[in-house]
Formats: sequence, structure tokens, C-alpha cells
Amino acid sequence: MDFSAVGAAASEALSLASFIGIGGGVLLGYVVGVIPGLSRSVAIAIAIPMTFYMSPFIAISFLIGLSKGTAAGSAVSAILLNAPGEASSAATALDGYPLAKQGKPKTALQIGLLASVIGDILATIILIFVAIPFARVALMFGPYEMAAILAFALVFIAGLSSGNVFKGLAAGGFGIFLGTIGLDNQTGLPRLTFGYAELMDGMPLIAVAIGTLALSEMFVQSEKLRYERETMSVALKKDQSDRITWPIFRGIVPTILRGTGIGTFVGALPGLGPSVGSFMSYGMAQKASKNPERFGKGEPKGIAASESADNAVIPAALIPLFGLGIPGNVSAALLIGAFAIHGITVGPLLLRDEPELLYSIFAGMILASLIMLVLGWYGLMFFAQITKVPPHVVIPIVIFFCLAGMMLQGYGTFGLIILMAFALLGYLMKKYDYSFVTFLVAFIITPMLELNLRQSIILSRGDWAILLNRPIAMIFIACTFIALVALIIRTFRKEKPLADAPAD
Amino acid sequence: MKRRNILTAGAALCALMTAPVAMADEWRPTQPMTMVIGFAAGGSTDIQGRVLARSLEEYFGQPVNVVNQPGGGGAVALTRFMNAAPDGHTFMFGVMLGLTFSPVVTETEYDIDDFRYAGTLVGGQFGVIAAGDAPFQTFEELIEYGRENPMTYAQQLPMDAAIMQNIADQEGLDLAMVPTGGGGGVAPLLLGGEVDFAFSGGIHSQYVPTGDMNILAFFTRDRSPFYEDVPTLVDLGYPYAMDDFRSFFLPGDTPDEIVEAFENAARFAVEHEPFVNVTVENTQHPVVFMDGAETEATLREIRAANEALMAD
Repeated sequence: MDFSAVGAAASEALSLASFIGIGGGVLLGYVVGVIPGLSRSVAIAIAIPMTFYMSPFIAISFLIGLSKGTAAGSAVSAILLNAPGEASSAATALDGYPLAKQGKPKTALQIGLLASVIGDILATIILIFVAIPFARVALMFGPYEMAAILAFALVFIAGLSSGNVFKGLAAGGFGIFLGTIGLDNQTGLPRLTFGYAELMDGMPLIAVAIGTLALSEMFVQSEKLRYERETMSVALKKDQSDRITWPIFRGIVPTILRGTGIGTFVGALPGLGPSVGSFMSYGMAQKASKNPERFGKGEPKGIAASESADNAVIPAALIPLFGLGIPGNVSAALLIGAFAIHGITVGPLLLRDEPELLYSIFAGMILASLIMLVLGWYGLMFFAQITKVPPHVVIPIVIFFCLAGMMLQGYGTFGLIILMAFALLGYLMKKYDYSFVTFLVAFIITPMLELNLRQSIILSRGDWAILLNRPIAMIFIACTFIALVALIIRTFRKEKPLADAPAD
Repeated sequence: MKRRNILTAGAALCALMTAPVAMADEWRPTQPMTMVIGFAAGGSTDIQGRVLARSLEEYFGQPVNVVNQPGGGGAVALTRFMNAAPDGHTFMFGVMLGLTFSPVVTETEYDIDDFRYAGTLVGGQFGVIAAGDAPFQTFEELIEYGRENPMTYAQQLPMDAAIMQNIADQEGLDLAMVPTGGGGGVAPLLLGGEVDFAFSGGIHSQYVPTGDMNILAFFTRDRSPFYEDVPTLVDLGYPYAMDDFRSFFLPGDTPDEIVEAFENAARFAVEHEPFVNVTVENTQHPVVFMDGAETEATLREIRAANEALMAD
């Protein structure tokens, strides 16, 4: 590492202009994250034109700060309203919302924020010191490995919601079915699009996620408001008991570290994305816990697991981007565009040609995390008051944001219809106890799994023996089978599942 | 959000204060304009379009808002754009593929006759790439190598797959076609050594200088200005070409004077330094100018070639 470049980088990162730029990015991202219906990729896409007027360093740090801010902010709506703005915070809501309902919204938010910031800083440090030289390790994960990992993720995450296994299969199967809609990867022919050009790229993920997660929850809450009004409101305690304590924090540290590890791994592999990371981390935390039955009922570790992984994915997705020029996920792909507008080509050449800029960006990322901590800490005092606002005021506002957010994506009226359809679907799934988590994860994973599986089959020319040279793929295939067998055994051994469906 | 409004307002103000470059007797927009891009933010079309929007602000003297309508390789945007008001205030910076390819493989609500074409600004860069350490450095060596070994090719569109399959059949290669699901999927496959060679829609630009990749041939009709030594498939004796250009599309009923104004705007933009720099330096696409008539003729030519290819 070139230390004169590092020194210059640090001084640029600590200038007043960069404080304002990065701070503005984090603040904007945080607000966008809090609003259900607006997502990270939309925020970046909208913000790119703003960066025209900034220097390249501030512009990029602004955008990275923005995406970090959205990740931390989306925990707020997940915890307080049970309306996660993005699929990646859905796991946060599983425990965050129950904890907030128990009268501890601030504790839940503080756990979420600390897990976010720690996961984020650790992953950034890994990015800086370890990852770029080792970015090529990601190339060891070819189609075989990716297909095996995706299959494992699908089975493992489906196993999380331990309601009726047949209902789980139905939900997962429906997600897989919807995931196959769109243009065929190889022939370019449309599948199940019924002549709608809008469906050529598949069901828009954003409509499916906002519909089943946030909007459907508003329907559920409206119904509760009608029939069980008295149980809806949460009394905020006046005393200091609603805050994170040292024992709670000590308890979640191992979970945060595990979550960071999982998030970094998932982020560094191009294509997996934050929702796979946060659910994997949540599941691993539940499996590692001595009291797995507490998950889904306000367990701090559940929040910490999901948030740390969700945030670790963001810096980690830059590992293949800076190391190999391959974006780790959609937001990282958007950053390539932002870089290009500022005359910078992202990729291996950046480290060679403009190391100072790269180190400045790293310094800016660390600064963004620290600003996020301060901003989030004071912000949550304010946001926790949302629980005091009566539901009949909150629900219409959230519905408005969901619809407005959908319009912002550029899908037009068609997007709104899809959104409403999925909100209805999500409402029915919640009401009749079908796991919408299984559904959503199956929907997100299916297109990637299909592509990687097809690539593997074609590349192997149908020869199973090729797997013998692929130890990583073999390990994940074995894990998939173990998870599958465990799931079957658990279903048939017990009438009653291990824990109630954590979602509801 | 507030900050954005201030910036947009500021940009609008700046645009209004500077006198437009457009000729006085030419058609001029009377209100802010909307540029439709049929791809998501962040891709090369989007990057070029956003910089182009700033050149157009200077030319027309009106702010230009960029709207992304992604989906179906531009098909979604074309379907919606077809019904836009033909008053020149809404226009598309479009990729030809939506017209030369999508209607061939699927039913679309629109076709070439539903639009007017007002000048081309950017040329395509479709090429054949291989890893830098591959046992072949040229397309001829690749064919030699393929006669001895079974090979894999990472395809992106049905057309490049069809062309490669035809060449493989002609040369007697044992070739397996691997789908990639878009441009981003090619680099990991090639750098990880999973496939022997691949289609590039432009990603080679950042890997060729590092030596990670080698460009063996171009699908385009003309050689690339960036790689004068690399032959096209036609140069190599294969009768196949696959090309794409980025042009101004206007709704079908747009009057001639507006089309002319956009042609002149395209002439201005291809000379305008910021647009040329970003297009050439950052997205590594050649800046190519064609007027409206030539654009439409080229489009129909490519369409006919694709139809012939896919008919096999």
C-alpha cells in the first residue's frame, strides 16, 4: 500500500466539503430508507444527477454514504411499522417489530443501528485490507458453486419459517413459479408474459417486495385497527428502561460478528445480494442460539443478525467491483454508472491509475459509517416517536409512500396494478399463515438459480463427474441435502413445529 | 429531497440563462424536455444519455429530464413511447436492438414504422472476446484450437449465438452455448476460466488494457476505431454482421421541422466535448453520426439481416 497516497486520501476525506457531501448522502439515504416504498437503488438512481455538480471523490462518497444510509434507515420502518422498505430488511422486522410492540422501540432501533454500523465498518476494513488483493478468490465460485450455494440458501431460508411444511412448499413453489416469468436467458423468447412488454424482465422485484412486505402489512394493520383497536397502541415508557444495556450488547456481539462474516461473503460473490445475506445470517443466528424458540418474539440477536449482514453486504459488494470490475449487486452496478459520469472507469485499473482516489473513497466510507452512527443515534430518538402516532394516521401515509415509490420506479400504472395484486397476495398469505418470507426468497433466488444451473449443465455437458473437481460445490450440495433431510425429519417427527412462524 | 429541488432549479436557471445554440429560424422547444431511456440507470446507454441531456440543454436552451423505463431490452420504453405527443418535447435516446431484434423474436405492439428517426450519435461495439491467457490470441487460432478441443461460448443474444453456431458448423467445431443473462454475467465466466470465449457488448474496454482479456474479432460491419488491427467477422470471410447504434427516436407523427431540429442537435452533440469524452473515454463507444434517413435505412438493413439469421 502506498502510504503517501493514504495520507493525501485521509486529508481529502477530512475536509469540510467532504463532511457536508458525505453527511448529506447519509442523511438523505437514511430518510429514504425510513420511507417504505423507496429503495436503495431508486435513491442512488435519483441522486446520480445531483452528483454532476460535485468533485468525483465527494460524488462517489456521497453515493456510498447514501446507500449505507438507506440500509440503516430501512431498519426503522421494519422495526416500528413492520413495513420493511426492502426485502433485505424483512428479517429485521421478524424480531424488531415484536420488540417494539413490547414497549421497547428504542432498544430495538439501537440494536439495529449498532449492528448496522459495526457490520458496516468491519466489512469496509475487510474491503480495504484484505479483499482487493484477494478479489480473484471470488472467481473460484463459478456457475457450479453459485448454483449449489443458491440451492442451499433456498432450502435453508425456506426451513426458517417452521409453520406447516406443505404451506411452506406452496409458498415457495409459487415464488419459484413467478420467478420463471420473463425472457428466456438463452433463446430470448418470452415466457408467461401474456404479451405484456413490462413482464419481459420478469415480475418487477420492487413491486413484489413492496407489495408483499410493506403494503400488505398496512392492510393487516387496518384490519386490526377495525377489530382490535385497544391492542394497537404502544405506550412509550417515560423512564430510561427502554435503551440498550451493556448485557444486551455483549450478548449480540458474536451475532454481529457472524452476521458481518456472512454479509461479507455474500456481498463479495457477484449476484447474491443483501436479502440472501440478511436471511442467511438470521437463520444461522437462530441455529446457533441456545434458545431458538425466542426468535420471532423480540430476540435482540435476530435484529443484530439481520442488520449486520444487510449492512456488511454494501462495502463487500465493492470487493468484486474494485478488484475485478464486476458489480456485486444492483446498487454496485449503479455506482459504475456514477463513476463513469465523473470520468472514472471502475475496475482493476482504478487501483493502478488512481490509487489516491480509491483511498479517498475508502476514507470517505469509514467517515460515512461514523456519521451514520451519530445521525442514527439522534435520529432514532425522533423516529421512535412514530409509535406514538395513531395507526389511522400512519397507515394512509405509508400506503401513499408505497404507491408513490412504485411510480418513481418508472413502471407506470402497470407497476401499481402489480403492486396491489401482490399486496393482496401478501395479505392473504399473512392471514392464512403462508410464509411470505419463503415466497419472497424463492422469488428472488429462482432466476439466479436457474441461470447458474443451466450454465452448469451446459458447461459440464451433462457429466456429473465434473463435480469431483469442484470441492466447494460439493460441500454446498451436501449442506443442501442435510438441510433438506433435517427439514423433512422435523416435519414428520413433530406435530408442532419448533418455533411458531416467526413472521406473524 | 429539498437539496435536489434546489439543484434542479439551479440547473434549469443556468440552462435558461445561457442562450441556446440552435438556429433562430429552427424549431425550438417551448418547455422542459423529457428524454426517455429504455434501460436502467447506470448502464452505458444511461450514462451517455445523461451526458447527452446536458449537451442538449445547451443546444435547445431548455432543461432536459432523463426518464428511465427499463425492461425487455428497450421494448417497454418503445411500447409506451409510441403514444407520446409528437411535439418534440418527449424524445427517446434509443438503442436499435429494440427495433431490429425484439420484433423478430417476439410479438411487439410497435414496429419500425411507428417512429421517426432523427440522427444517430453512438455506434456499437459487439465483439468476440477470450481470456488474456487463453491458448489462442486471434480468431484464426481459436478456430484451429476448436478443431482439436470441445469449446464453450458465453452468448448474450440469440443472434450472436446463431452466428457462432453457424461458424462452428462451418468449421466443424464442437461448441456448447452458455447463456449469461446479460452483460454483467460474462466477465466472471471468462475471468474464472469457465468458458473459452464470449460475446462482449462493450465490457472488453476495461479488461483489454489490463491484459485480462483479448478481443479476437468484431461482429460489427466496420472495424472498431479503438482496435484498428482486430478484424471483423466479414474480414475473416464469414458473411455475418451484427450491429447496433444509438439514435434519437421520435413518435411517428412528428413533423419534419422537429425531426430536422433533432438532426441538427445530434450534429451539435457529436462535436460537443463533454459528450464525446464520456462516450469515448468512459463507455468506450465510438461516436458515429448518421442523419435521419441514413439511420432509418441502416435500421431496416440490420433488421432484415437479423430476420434472415433467425429464420435458419
